[in-house]
Amino acid sequence: MLVKINGQEYEVDQGTTILQIAREKGIYIPTLCYLERVSPIGSCGLCVVEVEGQDELVQACNTYVEDGMVINTDTPSVKAARKAALEKILEKHPLDCPVCDKAGECKLQDLVYELGYEERISHKVVGIPLLKEPPVSYSTPGIKYYPSRCVLCQRCVTICSEYVGREVLVVNEEGDKPRIEPLYADRCISCGECLAVCPVGALTENVSPLKVRPWQKKVSRTVCPYCGVGCVLELNVGDNRVVKVTVDESIPPNYGTLCVKGRFGFEFINSEKRLKRPLIRKNDEFQEVSWDEALDFVAEKLTAIKESAGPDAIAGLASAKCTNEDNYVFQKFMRAVIGTNNVDHCARL
Amino acid sequence: MTLPLKKERDEMILNMGPQHPATHGVLRLLLELEGEVVKKVVPIIGYLHRGIEKLGEERTYIQNLVLTDRLDYTAAMSNNLSYALAVERLCGIEVPERARVIRVIMAELARIAAHLLWIGTYALDIGAITPFFYCFREREKIMDMFEMVSGQRLTPSYICIGGVRKDITPTFLEALRNFTDTFESYILDYEGLLSKNPIWLARTRDVAVLSKEDAINWGTTGPVLRASGVQFDFRRATPYCGYENYEFEIPYGTRGDCYDRYRVRMEELRQSNRILKQALNNLPDGPVLADVPYIVMPDKSQVLTDIEALIKHFKIASGAFQIPKGEVYSSIENPKGELGFYIVSDGSSRPYRMRIKSSCFVNLSALPFMVEGQMVADVVAAVGSIDIVLGEVDR
Ligand code: SF4
Ligand code: SF4
Repeated sequence: MLVKINGQEYEVDQGTTILQIAREKGIYIPTLCYLERVSPIGSCGLCVVEVEGQDELVQACNTYVEDGMVINTDTPSVKAARKAALEKILEKHPLDCPVCDKAGECKLQDLVYELGYEERISHKVVGIPLLKEPPVSYSTPGIKYYPSRCVLCQRCVTICSEYVGREVLVVNEEGDKPRIEPLYADRCISCGECLAVCPVGALTENVSPLKVRPWQKKVSRTVCPYCGVGCVLELNVGDNRVVKVTVDESIPPNYGTLCVKGRFGFEFINSEKRLKRPLIRKNDEFQEVSWDEALDFVAEKLTAIKESAGPDAIAGLASAKCTNEDNYVFQKFMRAVIGTNNVDHCARL
Repeated sequence: MTLPLKKERDEMILNMGPQHPATHGVLRLLLELEGEVVKKVVPIIGYLHRGIEKLGEERTYIQNLVLTDRLDYTAAMSNNLSYALAVERLCGIEVPERARVIRVIMAELARIAAHLLWIGTYALDIGAITPFFYCFREREKIMDMFEMVSGQRLTPSYICIGGVRKDITPTFLEALRNFTDTFESYILDYEGLLSKNPIWLARTRDVAVLSKEDAINWGTTGPVLRASGVQFDFRRATPYCGYENYEFEIPYGTRGDCYDRYRVRMEELRQSNRILKQALNNLPDGPVLADVPYIVMPDKSQVLTDIEALIKHFKIASGAFQIPKGEVYSSIENPKGELGFYIVSDGSSRPYRMRIKSSCFVNLSALPFMVEGQMVADVVAAVGSIDIVLGEVDR
């Protein structure tokens, strides 16, 4: 099948959309709502292109190519339509960037800068005052929702119903400004998938009190310490503290998905309450002791119990937070040194 | 550090500076003296080195503007201008006419302020206290005007890429008009105090002479070059900001001594005032910032009311823009001579290299020609007459 995009012919497969081809061939088509993982949403109206023989512009994200299609992605009418679509979003957008968590990695900012590279997008003053509306409660305490920043792309709604399968969110069309509403909050599993796909600062993470701008942070890729799936995630570190968890969508096993623990359970890393030295209870109080003293104490007690009550009086409980190697050595120790098969492991947390 | 000089019998090695009021900052001069006569002088620099050129590679083109204020801090407006012109040439930005005239006004005010500071402190160096008070009286007026337009006296960062940060106000124009109307008479005051003063003449006439050949060969620019008899000025040679449309003369000396340097600067005060008057009378209306949204920051008042402007401001400030690949050298006539920026762009938001050509550095290197064989007391007169600012020498 042959199509012509901006005067250049391409051989394409049936069943692909214009946008998919453009992305593959490196032709620029801006999008705001498009997500590869779910079916096209088609709410932002930025991906419009011109197809010869059609009176109106079509959306590249949900139009499938046909043989002999002639497509133009860069005509004046396409540009004007994109600007008009963006202007509509901007008209109701608050002047929040300086206080918005997303600023610097915000898709809306990127689009305004890209499409307004040579001249202004809008010919009037657009936007509403700073922090017009305070954040409202959401279906999980891990997330804050700022209705005024929402561009109503419906990425969150779609990913929740199509990908996570919980169907928590709906679009509330009532009032002068439609908004997202967690109508079925009891179904929410706090996975934060909606937070991850929100292109702007409407859904923001509500766990870490410390926030950093993208150019101040260091990102380290690591494996989630919680369960055996071993999701790959990225720790966003600012000021020597983990402030956020993000995910790279291209990496198995989780391909961008996380559960509540992986996404929001990082505050323990920098917690003041973490054990740093061994403690022994003396006179009903925990006291810090040296490693030598602690190990001597444990060895002495274990030997005593083993001698008096036999090895099966002892059981070992390992942790999923340890590495496989640690756990292997641990069970070896229990079986070979202590002499018991009483070994268990919390394969969950 | 090993001394670059070797001490022979009857010779004395003397360190002048780096902490010395007459070296105008942290300059160290290593003098080899035979009695009162200077046999050799080696300027040792670097005490005020802040790595500005290197810092420039780490920061975005927008951020670098504030570094330029800290070169020759007696004329920060001019430094801003030189840098802005270089980046604008790199990006092919056309600056609106009104901004060009405002830039000329600021550059000339900076020249007057810098020369006034020089006259005052130079006179102090060689023993006349009174001119200092008169000069600082007028310089203060200029500082006030700078504060009016930018909120800052010494480091305005007012001239920016694409034009000037903000339009000038009627109050500023009135202050400027008052200044230009009265300034001529003040120049007469300074001259009355110095030009025929016998002590002044004794300390400057035929002192620290730099021949025309040495001045040219050593690459000096600015009043130092002109005092040695070369009528060269970048405003005339390679006009920028529309200087070709202004009437002014290029004063120059004949003997190349301290007195001629003083005369040249005095005359430049007059010429600058002349330019200011012309600029005032030909100030067109219009915008003061070029409409190039990808690099020129939108006006701050817009940023607080308009989300599009806010976003662009944020993106530019955080370095989202890309400067076309290429290299550029552009220089202007600063109060002290040529200030040039050589910028290499690799297409990113930060310069690959930002070299600063400093007239202070070059002019200082001509010092040994002026003082070797002279009396040690004249070293102070010579150093002062070059008018160096260590912020620019060391960068
Ligand atoms: S969502 Fe984006 S554009 Fe809106 S306030 Fe936040 S950073 Fe700015
Ligand atoms: S909350 Fe975010 S993802 Fe959901 S509709 Fe609004 S902008 Fe889109």
